[in-house]
Amino acid sequence: MSGGPAVRVSIESTCEKQVQEVALDGTETYVPPLSMSQNLAKLAQRIDFSQGSDSEEDVVEGEHTNPDWGKQEPEEEEGTVKFQPSLWPWDSVRNNLRSALTEMCVLNDVLSVVKEKKYMALDPVSQDPSVGKTPQVFQLISKKKSLAIAAQLLVKGAEKLTKSVAENQENRRQRDFNSELLRLRSQWKLRKVGDKILGDLSYRSAGSLFPHHGTFEVIKNTDIDLDKKLPEDYCPLDVQIPSDLEGSAYIKVSIQKQAPDIGDLGTISLFRKPPKTKAGTQLWHVKLEAAQNVLLCKEIFAQLSREAVQIKSQIPHIVVKNQIISQPFPGLQLSISLCHSTGDKKNTRTSPEKPKPDDHLYVLEHNLHQMMREFHKQQLSSVVMPHPASAPFGHKRQRLAGPMAYDKTEISSLQQSEGLLEKIIKQAKHIFLRSRTARTIDSLASRIEDPQIQAHWSNINDVYESSVKVLITSQGYEQICKSIQLQLNIGVEQIRVVHRDGRVVTLSHQEQELQDFLLSQMSQHQVHAVQQLAKVMGWHVLSFSNHVGLGPVESIGNASAVTVAPPTESTPSQCVTAQRAAAKSSSSSPAAKPKSCRRATWSRTASGATSEGPTRRSTGARWRVATSSTRWSCSWRR
Amino acid sequence: MGVTCVCQVPVAEGKSVQQSVDIVQQKLEQLGAAKQGSFCVDCETYHATGNVSGQPTKLLYVMHNTETPLSCLALFEGGPCLVADANFDVLMVKLKSHFQNAKGHKVECRGSRYRYCDFLIKVGVVTMGSSARGISVEVEYCPCVVPGDSWNLIKEFMQSFLGPSVPELPSVFVAKPEGLFAPSDSVDTMTQYLELFNKLRKMQMPGSNQR
Repeated sequence: MSGGPAVRVSIESTCEKQVQEVALDGTETYVPPLSMSQNLAKLAQRIDFSQGSDSEEDVVEGEHTNPDWGKQEPEEEEGTVKFQPSLWPWDSVRNNLRSALTEMCVLNDVLSVVKEKKYMALDPVSQDPSVGKTPQVFQLISKKKSLAIAAQLLVKGAEKLTKSVAENQENRRQRDFNSELLRLRSQWKLRKVGDKILGDLSYRSAGSLFPHHGTFEVIKNTDIDLDKKLPEDYCPLDVQIPSDLEGSAYIKVSIQKQAPDIGDLGTISLFRKPPKTKAGTQLWHVKLEAAQNVLLCKEIFAQLSREAVQIKSQIPHIVVKNQIISQPFPGLQLSISLCHSTGDKKNTRTSPEKPKPDDHLYVLEHNLHQMMREFHKQQLSSVVMPHPASAPFGHKRQRLAGPMAYDKTEISSLQQSEGLLEKIIKQAKHIFLRSRTARTIDSLASRIEDPQIQAHWSNINDVYESSVKVLITSQGYEQICKSIQLQLNIGVEQIRVVHRDGRVVTLSHQEQELQDFLLSQMSQHQVHAVQQLAKVMGWHVLSFSNHVGLGPVESIGNASAVTVAPPTESTPSQCVTAQRAAAKSSSSSPAAKPKSCRRATWSRTASGATSEGPTRRSTGARWRVATSSTRWSCSWRR
Repeated sequence: MGVTCVCQVPVAEGKSVQQSVDIVQQKLEQLGAAKQGSFCVDCETYHATGNVSGQPTKLLYVMHNTETPLSCLALFEGGPCLVADANFDVLMVKLKSHFQNAKGHKVECRGSRYRYCDFLIKVGVVTMGSSARGISVEVEYCPCVVPGDSWNLIKEFMQSFLGPSVPELPSVFVAKPEGLFAPSDSVDTMTQYLELFNKLRKMQMPGSNQR
């Protein structure tokens, strides 16, 4: 390359006319030949690029690699540049490069000349110190200036950057709004009315008949101050909820009683906590869900109050403001209230006499919600849901009603006529009865040590029925004395007791009845235990009576008596153990139990030794004590 | 659904149809029966078309009864009977090419429904087009489904308010096998109504092709 340019061959086109296009029929259209001036211009253009050669690449290489070539023809270059200044955009660059190249070449030459040291020599230039000082100040100033310029540039650049970032954010926000809207759209029903976006909160599409329209509006929240720092929970999309659905609401179901003895019905507070927001959920979602919950609660309450007014019961249900009061059992009050608190003010619109702690019946509240949904589903299935043209949608029996020609009475028996309120009252009754039964059994078990009562609650229940197995045993003598097993089926209004032998006793909801019944069962167990024990000890049971006319006549239960004789002939003949079966007296204190045994003369046997009948009171006490030592104190009459 | 007997009550002499109905209803109310709404039995006639020529066209009767509101009965003349959903009417429209509706032959029976203890009594006026043709009385003894066991009771009860004009055991029950458990159902009721309608048709329009 350094040896000069390669051999150049110029090629020009022939003077033929160029074909511009060939038509479909074969005729050719030619490009008209250039005029002289056009031709000149074209050639000049060419020169401009290639300096006499045809290929562009060649030119660039030639220019950059061959300094002689560039040096030789600066004049010509100037001329062409002047001739067509605007056609070549890199002109100035090229010119600069070219001049730089020239300078470099000169420098190169000078250096090579200096190197020879024949024609030229370099000497250091003596510097004037005074001259050097002043420039230092100037240098500083100029440095400062240039630094300032650089700083300015940097600041400008930074400004531009921040601007573009802000713009980006703005764009992103816009995008965020759209994506949020998309997300909203995927979870809620939206529609566009005019330039507003409205959404539907109501459960109408799920089968609700509640007339509230439940419309919310979607608001774009993008025009905020860009300079301010954004709050943490900023969201470009906001929703506006109808004012009557704001805040939070819940249905409260509770059972109150005049006597303060049913405090054990639902004592845990679950609802008071502020609703926890899940990490991933948006603010609007929380808001909408709360509003929807308010709507559902309102619907439930409206339905309940409608039923409360319509249903005729012996004791009419009372609807006051936002509370429904019903009396499931005498002296008992079931209240269902709608608690709606708006905003942060804790301004519960509940009745002012709303009592102290939490007496929610959460199960019933949950069931209310569930039943409402079921009601919705019923509505839906019959009306809106797609159904086959050949038959109605629903239960099999309902489908069969047509083809089997069910008459009116049969059809009406298929349809559920029970309302929400009736169901919830029934459930409340059951819950109350269940808890009271548990309490009765527990109090008996804790009060009476012998015999023992065990209750096994089954944990699989129906909403209207649950069962408990009650075992009555004598501690330490389980092998000898058979225990009494009772199955208590607790229903809505009554308790059915099933004995082991299949007998069924129906008890009403009265607490006393159950208590009396259990007491009588316990006493029976005791008497049987005496007999069993006597047999084991080798004593003879002489007589046994469940109802002896002993003691004062009681309305419930009676004393029962067992007469046993010791095996030795010498000892007195009759031993009597009597026991009270009356529930009434037992409920007062255990010491009262043997009262009825006063009439009998009592004495005690311990390994055949006899002693005269002691005082009445001590008999009673001894009887109790004896059961724990020799198990039974037997006494005989002289 | 119990045993049902449908019969025609003759119009009292010198009285209009409505007056005769009122008399029967009055008697029922005196007896202590309580009115429980109204009832309606209607019957539409269809000609089976597209038959092989030469055979007489069969008739298909599509009937509805408010007592069985979800059902629709289709009875072939002297042939099988079909109990279907109420949607059957829509199906009949689709079957237009096979069964043509005889528009003029629509018969209706409308009236009041009474309950007297276990008895359900329906007194109605049979109308064809716009003219009242006669009076029908339906008595149902709800607790029993065996016609033979309850017929005498029904008969005695009917005598109490209809007097001597009490019909014999309806022919649909006569055909039922003796001794076997053959409960009466809605088809029996509707067959009796159909017989009654046809009888009234013939009576009023002698020489018509209705049987």
